[in-house]
Amino acid sequence: MELVEKLTPSMRRVARMFVSSDATADDVVGEAWLGVLQGIDGYEGRASLRTWIFRILVNIAKTRGQKESRSVPFATLAGDDLEQPTFDPTAFDTTGHWSTLPFDWRGLPEDRVTAGETLAVIRRTIDDLPPLQAEVIRLHDVLGWSSEEVRNALEITDTNQRVLLHRARAKVRAAVEEHLGSVSA
Amino acid sequence: MSRVFVCRDVVELITAYLEGELPADVREAVETHLSGCDGCTMVLEEFRRTIELTGRLDDDAVSAEQRETLRGAFRDWATA
Repeated sequence: MELVEKLTPSMRRVARMFVSSDATADDVVGEAWLGVLQGIDGYEGRASLRTWIFRILVNIAKTRGQKESRSVPFATLAGDDLEQPTFDPTAFDTTGHWSTLPFDWRGLPEDRVTAGETLAVIRRTIDDLPPLQAEVIRLHDVLGWSSEEVRNALEITDTNQRVLLHRARAKVRAAVEEHLGSVSA
Repeated sequence: MSRVFVCRDVVELITAYLEGELPADVREAVETHLSGCDGCTMVLEEFRRTIELTGRLDDDAVSAEQRETLRGAFRDWATA
């Protein structure tokens, strides 16, 4: 049951990317766990167990989404800004070197940086990301999955995984910078 | 010919660099740049710190309704 507790929240969010309601997403998660129980004998250990479970989930969620005639463009899930630079271009001069450096929060007192408020800012920022960016950073940086597990679980390419993770981290870093800059001003 | 990166390039490579996913020549060029650039070194350290802070978050909890749905699914399986 520990694995169920651990994986269910992210499974629910991933299912919700493909289906139209929370209730349907819950159904999909239930069906996926059932599929896991029924198929566990066929699990060959080629992928990690959690990756394998997510593959089952994503298949069921996609099928359900198709039945609902719901088709969500990749750009809606991943964000439509993937081709844009991650950092504000005006921070650099015409040669590509820094013209305005970001606020340096490295020297701030440790308890201010790690305060609950900072973590709340991070959580809110992640919640507001496009769903696929949010899930990549949650799986990789919150739950500690490897890049390979994340890309296999979510059925994305390694390039997409890296781009999504970088973009998500850059937005979280910028939000932390803004937060710490405002409280220390 | 060896590569030369400017700050605008390096900040886009930070995740790949931290994850050890860069080819050796690109990695070397990033490190050469970092060794002479305080701004990019700062951003790199802030990325590291941000990742560490993100790792302190807890995932969402399983809701009561969700737990009920799952119990139902497991019951069906056990009695099938």
